[in-house]
Amino acid sequence: MDSYVAAAIHDAKNALHALDAWLAEARRECAAPALAQAQAVAGRVSAQLVELLALYRADQGTLRLAVADHFVDDFIADIMEELGPAPAHIAVATDFAAATAIGAWAFDAYQVKFVLLDALRNALRHATGRVRFAVAAEPGGGIRFTVADDGPGFPDEVLAGAAAAMTETSSGLGLLFARLIAAHHATPAGHRGRIELANAGGASFSLVLP
Amino acid sequence: MDLRDKTGLLIDDIPEMRSAVRIQLADAGLEKCDTARNVKEAIDRLAASRYDLIVCDYNLGQGADGQQFLELVRRKQTLPLATAFLMITGETGYEQVSTAAEYSPDDYLLKPFTSETLRTRLERILEKKGALRPIYKHMGERGDRMAALAACDEMLAGKTRYSLDILRLKGELLLAMKRGQEALALYEDVLQQRSTPWAEVGKARALAAAGNVAEAKAGLRRALEAYPNYLAAYDSLAGLLEKTDKAAAQQVVEQALKVAPSTQRQRRIGGLALDNKDFGRAEEAFKRTVEKDRTGFFKSHDDYAGLAKSCSEQGKTQEALAAVKGMGVHFQRTPELAARQAAVESQVHTKAGNADAAQAALAKAMAVMQESDLDPTTALEIAQACFAGGHADDAKRIIRTVAEDHHENDQVFARAQSVFAAAGLSDEGTVFLDATRKRMIKLNNDAVGLAKAGELDQAIAMLQEAADRLHNNAQVSINAALALLMHLQKNGTDAGRLEQAQRYLLQARRANAEHPKLAEVEAFYRKLAPPDAETAA
Repeated sequence: MDSYVAAAIHDAKNALHALDAWLAEARRECAAPALAQAQAVAGRVSAQLVELLALYRADQGTLRLAVADHFVDDFIADIMEELGPAPAHIAVATDFAAATAIGAWAFDAYQVKFVLLDALRNALRHATGRVRFAVAAEPGGGIRFTVADDGPGFPDEVLAGAAAAMTETSSGLGLLFARLIAAHHATPAGHRGRIELANAGGASFSLVLP
Repeated sequence: MDLRDKTGLLIDDIPEMRSAVRIQLADAGLEKCDTARNVKEAIDRLAASRYDLIVCDYNLGQGADGQQFLELVRRKQTLPLATAFLMITGETGYEQVSTAAEYSPDDYLLKPFTSETLRTRLERILEKKGALRPIYKHMGERGDRMAALAACDEMLAGKTRYSLDILRLKGELLLAMKRGQEALALYEDVLQQRSTPWAEVGKARALAAAGNVAEAKAGLRRALEAYPNYLAAYDSLAGLLEKTDKAAAQQVVEQALKVAPSTQRQRRIGGLALDNKDFGRAEEAFKRTVEKDRTGFFKSHDDYAGLAKSCSEQGKTQEALAAVKGMGVHFQRTPELAARQAAVESQVHTKAGNADAAQAALAKAMAVMQESDLDPTTALEIAQACFAGGHADDAKRIIRTVAEDHHENDQVFARAQSVFAAAGLSDEGTVFLDATRKRMIKLNNDAVGLAKAGELDQAIAMLQEAADRLHNNAQVSINAALALLMHLQKNGTDAGRLEQAQRYLLQARRANAEHPKLAEVEAFYRKLAPPDAETAA
């Protein structure tokens, strides 16, 4: 069953990729803001399909992460590339100084990329003017990615730990996926990944990987 | 990085995908790019040209996949380490590609992707390959591990982005050179800073090499809990368990098979299941190895032999004989093939109670062995047929020769032990093989002792007798060359002895180019040989 679900998702992703290419071509001919929005939606749906597959596999007990060494600076560059330019009214501040010092770290770059893209897209949606994206070495081992915005912050029930708090703008699935991927990152010494949510002048999302 | 001066090979079985990716590669700057439609074409291309980069789709049709192809060309060293390998995959193949088997691609890319993403990935892997070139150039079949190690240390002493990659290569080199303690220290150092699967597995391998097997196994089990798709950990754990508990080893390979089904692991399951007398499972596994791969590149005689034996043990004589016949259809006609077919056929007939047919087939296998220098697997198959047919003395004689010829090869010894076990002689096999190994170690030690004591003629005589008989024993050949070279050093140049030393070094290189003592004695030869002499390698 797993491979059929994966194949169906693969086909859907291919279709979205084709849609994305058509939209890019349409934008070259006519720079309508709606086309840019449509392209962003196609990217989001594609990411959600990957999340769906991970959630399905976790439910089946077959989700296995592909943990390998990745250069943190390359990884961040890939995320920024995939994220694309931010809306004009939002300034994105980045702090990647620690990335070079950390060098390479072992994690599942494919899944973690979707977690962070999700967090960044959320932040861009809720921010009023500023988004911050940073990476830091975690004291005592591990790395921390932080995405923060200056929007209204997380609803109380989300901060209280509700796994999939439904709100008007989000199904909460993104957070569920983030928790899942964080928790599946583990070391033989027993350290585990986690996410941390806080409201400090807006929403702050951290992913800590062991 | 400019990709325009790089050469690439693109492998994909679907014409539309091939042209689409070909265009993306050109967009990314890689204009000089050959294409191959299947494994055979790719292998032909690799034989004819040298590439900077291989871009391979995971799904290659005909039951073949990119991972099998990568393993094949890396193992046979037709793909140099300096050549980068990028695997392209969909969601379905992703899990298999990302499992970090013994041979992993340098990077993998999930479809669909943009030309920009492709270019970034290509630049990164080519930059890394370029940076590690000073090490890679000393690795491989004709490499020099000492020089590779020195290159690692030199690069680590400088400032490099790739220090973790270099440490990983250095760890592998130290393990291969049997410098387990240094490898252990290296892995522990890495793990102090960070947890990463390769260092966890490396540490376990170093512990096992130092004799601390229990701790190694525990470490691998912990690693698998944290990294359940890390195939190298399953393979290492199964390798350790295989020596003492084949049922547990089979279980671990079954788990690995769930992570990534591969021909090689099916074959391993088949072999373990046969040893564990789990004949139904063995039949199923070998059937898959035989049927899945329609290209024929990844099959081995073992698959058909295993299938025949597992059928035969269940009383399915006709199926067993069909498998023996199938072996003849799918492989090139060689003495190994003829002997293996005959030896397996003999065992099938014995099991079915056809003594005359069994004897006739065995006689055929023995006749081939008389004429040819067979590989150890085939020779041991004949030994197994001898045991089955009641010719224990012949069986032991064959096993003794194979074991003497390969006394440093654990795999050959494990196989020989399986032959004893199949004949119900496990305990006798352990004693027999242990004694053989000790005898060979003593021969080498005694001869080297004599040489060091100045009794060079006696040492040379002992070692030459053994080296002329045991063509596959690298250590004996190396020691024979060493004794001859010591004689030259002491008594002055002698063209005859120099030529003999060179011949033994070549024999050693053919037997095991990666023998830890080989480089040192080759260097000694070069020091003593006149500049115009034949090279040792």
